[in-house]
Amino acid sequence: MALLTRALSARAGPSWRRAARASPGFQLPLLEPAAVTRALSRAMACRQEPQPQGPPPAAGAVASYDYLVIGGGSGGLASARRAAELGARAAVVESHKLGGTCVSTAVCSVRGRRFVSAFRSTACARSYGFPSCEGKFNWRVIKEKRDAYVSRLNTIYQNNLTKSHIEIIRGHAAFTSDPKPTIEVSGKKYTAPHILIATGGVPSIPHESQIPGASLGITSDGFFQLEELPSRSVIVGAGYIAVEIAGILSALGSKTSLMIRHDKVKEVKKTSSGLEVSMVTAVPGSLPVMTMIPDVDCLLWAIGRDPNSKGLSLDKLGIQTDDKGHIIVDEFQNTNVKGIYAVGDVCGKALLTPVAIAAGRKLAHRLFEHKEDSKLDYNNIPTVVFSHPPIGTVGLTEDEAIHKYGEENVKIYSTSFTPMYHAVTKRKTKCVMKMVCANKEEK
Amino acid sequence: MAAMAVALRGLGGRFRWRTQAVAGGVRGAARGAAAGQRDYDLLVIGGGSGGLACAKEAAQLGRKVAVVDYVEPSPQGTRWGLGGTCVNVGCIPKKLMHQAALLGGLIQDAPHYGWEVAQPVPHDWRKMAEAVQNHVKSLNWGHRVQLQDRKVKYFNIKASFVDEHTVCGVAKGGKEILLSADHIIIATGGRPRYPTHIEGALEYGITSDDIFWLKESPGKTLVVGASYVALECAGFLTGIGLDTTVMIRSIPLRGFDQQMSSMVIEHMASHGTQFLRGCAPSRVRRLPDGHLQVTWEDCTTGKEDTGTFDTVLWAIGRVPDTRSLNLEKAGVDTSPDTQKILVDSREGTSVPHIYAIGDVVEGRPELTPTAIMAGRLLVQRLFGGSSDLMDYDNVPTTVFTPLEYGCVGLSEEEAVARHGQEHVEVYHAHYKPLEFTVAGRDASQCYVKMVCLREPPQLVLGLHFLGPNAGEVTQGFALGIKCGASYAQVMRTVGIHPTCSEEVVKLRISKRSGLDPTVTGCG
Repeated sequence: MALLTRALSARAGPSWRRAARASPGFQLPLLEPAAVTRALSRAMACRQEPQPQGPPPAAGAVASYDYLVIGGGSGGLASARRAAELGARAAVVESHKLGGTCVSTAVCSVRGRRFVSAFRSTACARSYGFPSCEGKFNWRVIKEKRDAYVSRLNTIYQNNLTKSHIEIIRGHAAFTSDPKPTIEVSGKKYTAPHILIATGGVPSIPHESQIPGASLGITSDGFFQLEELPSRSVIVGAGYIAVEIAGILSALGSKTSLMIRHDKVKEVKKTSSGLEVSMVTAVPGSLPVMTMIPDVDCLLWAIGRDPNSKGLSLDKLGIQTDDKGHIIVDEFQNTNVKGIYAVGDVCGKALLTPVAIAAGRKLAHRLFEHKEDSKLDYNNIPTVVFSHPPIGTVGLTEDEAIHKYGEENVKIYSTSFTPMYHAVTKRKTKCVMKMVCANKEEK
Repeated sequence: MAAMAVALRGLGGRFRWRTQAVAGGVRGAARGAAAGQRDYDLLVIGGGSGGLACAKEAAQLGRKVAVVDYVEPSPQGTRWGLGGTCVNVGCIPKKLMHQAALLGGLIQDAPHYGWEVAQPVPHDWRKMAEAVQNHVKSLNWGHRVQLQDRKVKYFNIKASFVDEHTVCGVAKGGKEILLSADHIIIATGGRPRYPTHIEGALEYGITSDDIFWLKESPGKTLVVGASYVALECAGFLTGIGLDTTVMIRSIPLRGFDQQMSSMVIEHMASHGTQFLRGCAPSRVRRLPDGHLQVTWEDCTTGKEDTGTFDTVLWAIGRVPDTRSLNLEKAGVDTSPDTQKILVDSREGTSVPHIYAIGDVVEGRPELTPTAIMAGRLLVQRLFGGSSDLMDYDNVPTTVFTPLEYGCVGLSEEEAVARHGQEHVEVYHAHYKPLEFTVAGRDASQCYVKMVCLREPPQLVLGLHFLGPNAGEVTQGFALGIKCGASYAQVMRTVGIHPTCSEEVVKLRISKRSGLDPTVTGCG
């Protein structure tokens, strides 16, 4: 009760939050004082729930938390931190660096778009009155900066977890056969009434048996490890990762080819002057022909991503996945096993950092604030492909709209223009916009 | 005949009793402006953003339209073609020169990204000015062609009212022309104000009318004023490497959110622009070596000081272009304070068939998009059977200072004044654009705040964004606010990553909480 009084008088300041955490018996959510009473009685009710029965653990054998999060990436960290804010005792298991794919290998690691913006600027700068602006590119400089920035982010994430009193468990988690859902990391066992799987994904590489020499290529993970700008690049794939990386390499001066059908790559051989990539190409209307690109110093597979679910021993609990290994969840991120949830890339839907974060947080509110209907709306999620020029999109594609509403009920507004930036430059890029509207009200 | 003509016109407005348009040439000055025998359905006075939009819209509805446009040369002798302020001496050249300045910054960043670019890279004013001026001229031409294509008659004459349906003007060569119309829209815009009470101001100073047309670099410049025009000009001059000082008498960006305005200035001050706050100029003299000597007074201490500059740019406000219109002959009322034309919510003046839009109107935003939209809606009401009025609420805008400021809706102080402090919740964040990290740029003023009602669902009253590409960031959110977005809805909107824009949908810390609003990490 003393805590409640303090909460009501002190308002939502940091000292209030610390006071709340200092008292282990209470779960005081971050609410306006008026709602604290309600929350407090709810929290007390939750606490009075009987603990799941089971054989008493051997001394120190199983550490128990309110919330166990497997995977310290965008989704996992966001969910753990929100749960901790709501009073849960949380732990995050991570076998690599904190921050996940977003930070280490993709999005946050100073996306190549920035390199190319700088490049484009120096090229256009002459038209804007900077006559002596000539630029040569040095890959090492940006790699060092990127690496330093990523390290900094890793540290920031670690500090964020420590500040929130979230335990970091280093190592690889796998489910055990214990009756209560339990994971084992480096020989130690951990359990919680709520366990979140947010292990993300990894880039796919074709099997050696499908394409001999496939392992001679790298993936987006390897792209950010490159020490030099490749002089001859072949990117295989047609998704945003393939397009973005091909765009960066090409703009920075690497002779780049984009191979859109990966099943047309037949073989990769290593020679003294680089890789030899053999493929079948077909000009529409002509017969397919075998071609070969020699002296490739960077072959990059960007043909999709596989969920990181294989090493989790999901079968021990019978957690269902689809045939690719994505964990199957309902709209509330529940798996088929009570108390086990999944968010983010491992579920295979809307592979985006903000989506994983939002879903992770909504889940935390549902589990620890008892907001029964807290879930993420997966409709109208905006996203951008950082190609050159970039594509920003939200809502249905034209095809999706026609499929949903029928062609007669879909109206498309579009425009195409040259941005004024190019009014004075030699190089011109068009800007194209399309708005897809449905029905009478032109929604 | 007149009554029949009116009745016939009432039938969908497409029928015209005049048999054919006179090809080229002009209706004789001898023809009177008697009702039913007027030259045009619509006469638009002013070929700027608003005027051209009206003319083209009316022509598209099948009306007989004429546009008159005339540019009185600036005191320094600068003149320009069709298109108005925006095209010639406003938005367009301003944004291009702002872009030139931004490029200078990006060139400085480039080495951090691995580009081996020799620093410093000098800037050539002449090359930039020529490119900008050529683009503007192409737009002048484009507008002429558009009018021609839509069969809008264009006269390059300085018009003034003869009576409420007729204007007269003098064309090149001295020939006097009389034009009459059933409906008249005044869209003559405004011009920069000169502080004529300051000795030497008129002879030696220039304004935004001149800066974009200078053939030679303005050199060391003193910008007098605290308007967005002053700050934007000072901003790009600093950005291209010129020694620039801004003299502000009282507060920056009057009318804008003051917290944001002071951060705009802070950024400029820490990036090379010098500021003289609380000072007002009293005299401008030309020195024997050609430089300008400015004398000013510190308003608090009363102390006088002088400085030497190559250029003095007055940016102390704009005045409506109404003086030479002879509005009294038509009976159109203007504001006694500002001389701007008084209109109602239908853009109607004190005279039933005379309307006014754009910068020349009292109490309206001085923005191209509002003039264009108001103009089109007006024409749709006049000739298209519509009854839609222009909504001047929640008009988004952006100040293109070196660190751009985009906003839509109420400022924090306006919201508090309207609803009371206890009913307003402000969510805010200091963020760091990803692109600033590697280049080591100072992000101290990169800030966003959302002003909301406190009561659930917390209607968003205003959004303020300070950072790169503020215009691009703010535009989309303006739609949200127009649709009555609540903070709850903003919270449910997934962000696009990595962008600065997503910081808006990630706003969680309220000012009231006192918590540190600095963003860390990706979530």
